[in-house]
Amino acid sequence: MSIMTKRVIILAVIAIVAFVLGRLAVRAFLNLLLGGTLFGGNFL
Amino acid sequence: MKTKGTHKMLWGLIYVITFVVVFAVSVLLKLTIDPSGGKYSVEWSDAIGTVHTDLVYGEKDANKFDLYLPADNSRDTYGLVVYLHPGGFTSGDKSGDAEMMQWLCSKGYVGASINYTLRDEAHPEASVYSQSMEIKESMPFVIAEAEKLGYKINEMSIGGGSAGHCLAMLYAYRDAADAPVPVRMVFGAVGPSSFYPEDWKCYGLDKDTEESKAGAAELFGVMAGKKITSDMFGTPEYDEAVKDISALLWVDENTVPSLMAYGKHDRIQPYEASIRLDAALTKYGVPHDYIVMEHSGHGLQNDYKQYALYMEKMEEYLDIYMPVK
Repeated sequence: MSIMTKRVIILAVIAIVAFVLGRLAVRAFLNLLLGGTLFGGNFL
Repeated sequence: MKTKGTHKMLWGLIYVITFVVVFAVSVLLKLTIDPSGGKYSVEWSDAIGTVHTDLVYGEKDANKFDLYLPADNSRDTYGLVVYLHPGGFTSGDKSGDAEMMQWLCSKGYVGASINYTLRDEAHPEASVYSQSMEIKESMPFVIAEAEKLGYKINEMSIGGGSAGHCLAMLYAYRDAADAPVPVRMVFGAVGPSSFYPEDWKCYGLDKDTEESKAGAAELFGVMAGKKITSDMFGTPEYDEAVKDISALLWVDENTVPSLMAYGKHDRIQPYEASIRLDAALTKYGVPHDYIVMEHSGHGLQNDYKQYALYMEKMEEYLDIYMPVK
């Protein structure tokens, strides 16, 4: 596997992780605001 | 060596920038994309309808309503859909429901969003009971105003969110017999429907301690607008004291069809109370749908598919119980 292929794979993995984390961050924030499931929704 | 190091640094920078950009795009998408694809919103214009704002129904400052009238004014009669705003009985405004009212108007209904006196520093006497009575008193004015503007109302439905859902259920279950026109159905989400301390775990009122019982008595007393003492819990006297604010206690075989949605992890009002309501509606054979959002709290924020189902059901209920003729 060439170094460039490795770098592109790492880049793809980083993009996927960032995308998932972005969605999770919003969900966590909404849960914090709205008393959702995060930590049993026990923020409020 | 220098070139290799520069390449490494460059790629490190690319990785960091990629992470930041994709993360930001993901957050934006999650925040802005409407899971229903805009199905329940319309581009408001005169072609859809007109809105008359801040019409008066009483003497108090908050006794105002907005009336949404469909562009087609050729029909003999119209169905009225009333929607009551959320806000924990202490905040909120009818303007927050404009999108839903516009959508309902686009379907051919006359829509009304009604304000009620909120319990705040300026109105420490306001209670769920006084708010429910204001809603009751508003209805003849809403219908008269619609008729004055050329839209004769012959039937109505009522809905709301959270506190608004509570008030909507009270009107539909408690006051429907006195309504100026027949009430066909009630719909709403996360509205408290009963006030049993054992259900209100979200505020720790279920604990068998004097402090917990005193807290429950104070909270429910404020909501009912009357004195409640902890020794009343579990007695018929208590049910009588909170009946005027407990939609559950008005359910019988004449109760109107009901659509409701609740979050299983609600920390603002008790999910457990909705189980009682579902059981009562089932017991009396009332047509109803009880949508439980397994992963959501009060904001119904984590169950997009179930929320879409709730909206679809709302449309279905309107089509069945109050079709546009």
